[in-house]
Amino acid sequence: MSVGTASYLARRAAQKERVRILYRRALKDTLNWAVHRHLFYSDADALREKFEANKQVADVDVIDRMIDAGETTYNKWRHPDPYIVPWAPGGTKFCRNPTPPPGIEIIYNFGREDND
Amino acid sequence: MASALRSAVLRRIQVPIARSTVINGSQMTAVRSMSSHGDDHLDKQEVVDRVLEVIKCFPKVDPSKVNPDVHFQKDLGLDSLDTVEIVMALEEEFKLEIPDKEADKIDSCPLAIEYIFNHPMSS
Repeated sequence: MSVGTASYLARRAAQKERVRILYRRALKDTLNWAVHRHLFYSDADALREKFEANKQVADVDVIDRMIDAGETTYNKWRHPDPYIVPWAPGGTKFCRNPTPPPGIEIIYNFGREDND
Repeated sequence: MASALRSAVLRRIQVPIARSTVINGSQMTAVRSMSSHGDDHLDKQEVVDRVLEVIKCFPKVDPSKVNPDVHFQKDLGLDSLDTVEIVMALEEEFKLEIPDKEADKIDSCPLAIEYIFNHPMSS
């Protein structure tokens, strides 16, 4: 395999990864914008159609420009307050400790418990 | 030389695993759940069943072809965007949040089962 082919394939693989991640983020964002689940389904179909419409594009530079345009659009319409799973960074339960159950007593002896 | 010696020594050393925890002279018998999400971990069979259930419910998948060793694109005839959708459905099923780069690597059933089973927060 020549160097040119290898670099072409590497570039294509990077582009495919960018598209997958862009689609994933955009799909999550669609769910954030939808106030009901049944509204999400049609929005998700519309998003999928936007991606499918450019499936056959073969020119590498054109693909790069399209991905850039897609990422710009995604960043422009990103939800300001997205849903975050509670334990994840930014979630409501992140870094919160549960209260100890009743019956547990803490004796503050400042580390001298074993000495006296 | 030093690394060879070190690996040779490390191969000989064995540390016995303590079988019980002794606190204040009394043996801990039960592990107390300390948080509301529950410390009970999913067992493997439950993870496998629920993952397969999610994949079978995906509209473009033929349910009869789904088994725990299936690859989404090679065996089920899906494309990469369908894989993204399946991984997102799995995230919702197990209440997970998988980072984008890691979610991108999940492209087959065994990988998904392994990732979800090893995730401490899956429920």
